[in-house]
Formats: sequence, structure tokens, C-alpha cells
Amino acid sequence: MRLGHDNLGLGLGLRTVHYRDILERQPKVDWFEIISENFIDSGGRPRYVLEQIAERYPIVMHGVSMSIGSTDPLDREYLDKLKRLARHVNARWISDHLCWTGVAGRNTHDLLPVPFNEQTLRHVTERIRIVQDILERPLVLENPSSYVTFADSTMPEWEFLTRMAEESDCGLLLDVNNVYVSSVNHDFDPHEYLDNIPHERVVQCHLAGHTNCGTYCIDTHDGRVIDPVWELYAKAHRFTGGISTLLEWDASIPPFDEVHAEVLKAKRYMGEQLPAAEPMAANASDSPPSGAHPLSEPVPHPLHHVAPEVA
Amino acid sequence: MSKGVPNMDQPRPDLVRIQRWMQSVISHPDGIEQGISSAEARAEIDVPLSQIEQVILPSQHNSSVDRLKVYGNAYYARLLECLRESFPVTAKMLGKETFDQFAFGYLQQFPSTSYTLGRLGDSFFDYLQQTRPDREQRAAGEISWPDLLIDLAHLEWTIEQVFDGPGVEHAAPLSVEQLAAIPVDRWEEARLVPVECLRLLKFSFPVNEYFTAVRNDESPPMPSPEPSWLGVTRRDYIVRRIPLSRPQYVLLSALQHGVTVGEAIERAAKEVDDLDRLAADLRQWFHQWAAAQLFARIEFAE
Repeated sequence: MRLGHDNLGLGLGLRTVHYRDILERQPKVDWFEIISENFIDSGGRPRYVLEQIAERYPIVMHGVSMSIGSTDPLDREYLDKLKRLARHVNARWISDHLCWTGVAGRNTHDLLPVPFNEQTLRHVTERIRIVQDILERPLVLENPSSYVTFADSTMPEWEFLTRMAEESDCGLLLDVNNVYVSSVNHDFDPHEYLDNIPHERVVQCHLAGHTNCGTYCIDTHDGRVIDPVWELYAKAHRFTGGISTLLEWDASIPPFDEVHAEVLKAKRYMGEQLPAAEPMAANASDSPPSGAHPLSEPVPHPLHHVAPEVA
Repeated sequence: MSKGVPNMDQPRPDLVRIQRWMQSVISHPDGIEQGISSAEARAEIDVPLSQIEQVILPSQHNSSVDRLKVYGNAYYARLLECLRESFPVTAKMLGKETFDQFAFGYLQQFPSTSYTLGRLGDSFFDYLQQTRPDREQRAAGEISWPDLLIDLAHLEWTIEQVFDGPGVEHAAPLSVEQLAAIPVDRWEEARLVPVECLRLLKFSFPVNEYFTAVRNDESPPMPSPEPSWLGVTRRDYIVRRIPLSRPQYVLLSALQHGVTVGEAIERAAKEVDDLDRLAADLRQWFHQWAAAQLFARIEFAE
């Protein structure tokens, strides 16, 4: 139990292309994580599908628009909607990212980084407390992938996360792929990062693929998890003693069974064996795609657009 | 951590200024370098391009500007992709490059202000109307290709809103049998309340047929201007399109505005020459519309 939360096992991010498979076959997945913004306003098929899935599987809500680090006011209407949906689908917890998404009333729909310093720390911890009061539950915040470092930062990200979590009493969603991506982008040791976060506050782990652009990486969620990220996961598993684990796959999404097989690989890093009959795909390596041109094309994972069904 | 030392002689910008600065830099339509040099960015943090390392540090392999470009590239790419997905047939009609030009202009004039990308296209239809190149001719009543573009965008946005908006799947819309059971002497004073998800649209072009053809990967010629009317609703979580005649559109619009059936029929009658034919048609229309679950309930005056 971490901040009162159970280890839910190995889960998957719920994506539109897999709705039919999940509803018809009811696969043996331990739990699903939803993108909160895709459902809090839905009155159509997405909400209907979610309600059916929530009857059979534990649901965790993962958001991208709380903008906890923004200097704009918190969006109370948005938070109320999160709270209502969480009650409706019995969400086990609500998570978002340590980031800001916009300022001056705008939303860039990106997970933008904050400078890691005392001013930001005071700002973010105060807002986490407010959000937790509104939601009436601990908030769980994820370390995002980032691509710039502010000259105004005075501490490493792991120190900021640690102090933020302890001072606001929130939980952490440790995205080991993001740790890896940021370690490449910011020239730090990802293992040092993992060694220095408060292990007892880590409620959940994220796994994903990314795009290696040669001199930097982009968190694209469009492929398999690479070995160095699995190694970070193994370490997270050791220091937590087992944790709710989720695979995100948001672009070039393969069939459901392939995505499911990818998250099941996590068992290799828990000291457990998969059943002999279960297929084991090879791990991916981390090399730039041929012809990759730095600073072009790959885009960090977007929100999903749900295509309307029209007769 | 990355190399680079901030210039500590300068007062450090606070978080508000850093965020306003970064947002204006990464969303600048001409790119990161122009963004850093823009008046909007320099009003927040007055740092020239040559001294950008005072704000953003370089990494071992990438310059500060190149690092910011990751966010700059992603900003428009993500939002353009979202608009292309919201307006797939409009994008197909225009071609990706032309559609992106429209969408790029739109995003500058109407940047997202919502927590959800589901609202990103809210003003696209208005934007196309405001920026059409032939406003003077349109004001004089001329119909031309921008009207087709505007009609198509209007239809696609309506479909998107109806698909994920409130519906009647968990309600019991008025059935054909319930409609038939209304006493004849109470028919005129009755108010038929359309379902919440019904939208009534009027177009300058036969856009529904064009939409269907493009969606089916056909390459239809540009249609000639011709007024058309359409109902868009949802049943069993699927969006349904119901082609309407002008009298039908007028009748349903009147009901949507809350007038009695008698008053609505009077308004529709003004649109037809043959009243006997209308009287014969009305029974069939209401039957079809009830079967299509267009009415939520019937109300009578106390």
C-alpha cells in the first residue's frame, strides 16, 4: 500500500483503437489508465465505453491539463469535472504531470517544464495542497520528459520532486522512460535520479517508447520499451517492492495483443517467469532511425482525437 | 546538470515572466529565433538571441535555441494535426498544405484557451467566414467556393459536437406509437420537443452529398451552388444525417424554438405552394422523424 493505494499490477493506457477488442474479448489486463480530458466532457460513445470497462477493470485517471506549475489560476471547473468522473468510475487515483501547459489564459497542449528553484517549489506545493483539498484525495504527479533546462534552476529535478512530494504530501508517478529521455537531453545519470527520489511515495510507474534523434530523445510513445528503460524499471521494482505499472502507446498503435505483450515483459524484471506458451517479443534498441534529422518531425505524444462515428 | 552559467548580475525573472516568455517564444509563427526577438517575448524577458543562455542552458550536444525548437516544432504540429482530424473532409478537399495554411492562420488568431482539444475548432467556422477573400461579393449575395469550404467545416464541427455531446441513448424518445396516440383535437396545441442532440443546418451548397462522396474516397467535382438543409442527430452513439427540404427545416426549427405544432405547421406552409400536398406529407414526415428518434417528448399547455 503506497499512500493507501494497492499495487494494481500491469495495466495499459486505454486507447480508442482498442475499444472493440476490450469490450468483446475482455482480455486479462490488470487495470486501465484513461486520459482524463478525453472523458470528463463526453456524453457519447467514449463515456459509454468507459462505463462498461470500469465495471470490469480498475481505472486510474491520468490528466494532461491540470497545469499544476502554471502561474495562471487553477481551473476550478476542470477540477470539479475530474472529481465527478473519478467518483463515477471509482478511479483508484488521479494523476497529472509536474508541468505547466499554458499561461495568460492559453493552453499550448504541451507539458512544459518549470525551473527547479525555491520559488517554483513554493508555488507548486501550494497549488498541490489546493488541488488535494478540492479533489479530497492525494494527487499523484509524474515527472515529464523535458527538452530544455532553465538557467534559473538551482536544484536537480529529483531533488525538486522529492521536496515537492514531501512538502505537499502528494504521490509520485515515476515514468522511467521520461527519466531516461530527460537524462539524455540534460546529461544526467538516470540511475542517480532513481536513487534519490522518495521511494515510499512512488504510487505508479509508467513505461513507454521514445524516439532517439541522435543528440537528444523525444517522448513519442510510439514504440517498444528499450533495454536501458527496462533496467530503470527493474531498479524501480526493487526499491518499491512491486508497484502498479502501466504501458503508454499513443502513436503508431499496434493491435491490442501486441501492446499487452509489451507490458507483460515487465514480469521479466520482477524475478518472475512468464508462462512458457506466452510469446515474448524481442526488446527494442535505442538507436536513431535511419535518415533521422535532428529537430524535425517527431512530436511529443498528443492527446487523442476520437473520430466520430457517422452513418 | 547542463553546462552554462546564468548572468547573475541581472535580476532573475520570476516564474510568471518565464512562462509568458516561453509561451510566446515557442508559439511564435516564424520560429524560435524570431520568437526570442519578438516584442512580446522581450516585454517579459529582455534577452537578445545572442544571450539566450541567460535563460535557457545549452546541453552537451544541443544549443539553447535548438532545445527550444523541440517545443516550437511540436506546438503547431500537434495543433494542426488535431484540426486535420477534426475536419478530415475539409482537409481532404483543400489538400494538406492549403488546409494547414488556413489552420495555421486560425491558430494564431484563436489559440486554444480550453483544457480540452475538443474545443480547439470551436471558432474555425467563424474564422473562415471572417477571413474569406470575397467578403464584398458575398455581401452582395454571390455564392462561391469559400461558401462550400465554410459549409463543410460547419458540418464537420457539428458532427464532432453531436458525436460526443449529450444524447438520448439512456432516455426514451417519443415513439411512433406515442405520436400516433396524440388525440387529433390536441394536436395543434401540442409542443413536440426535439431531442437535445438534434442540430438543424442550412447550406449554400449540397454539402451533405459532397461530404459523403469525399469521405468514401471519391473525387467529386466541385458542386454548383444550391441551397440545402440537413438535420444532424445521434442514435445508438452513431451520428445520423437526415436530408431535409426547406419546409421540413422550417417546421423542425420552429419546434426547436418551442412553438406549438400548429404554429410550426403554419410557418412551414408559407414555404409551399400546394397546401393539400403539405397536409398529406405532414403525417409521413412526423412518422419518419419519430422513427428516427428526433423528439424527446410531447407537452401540452395546462
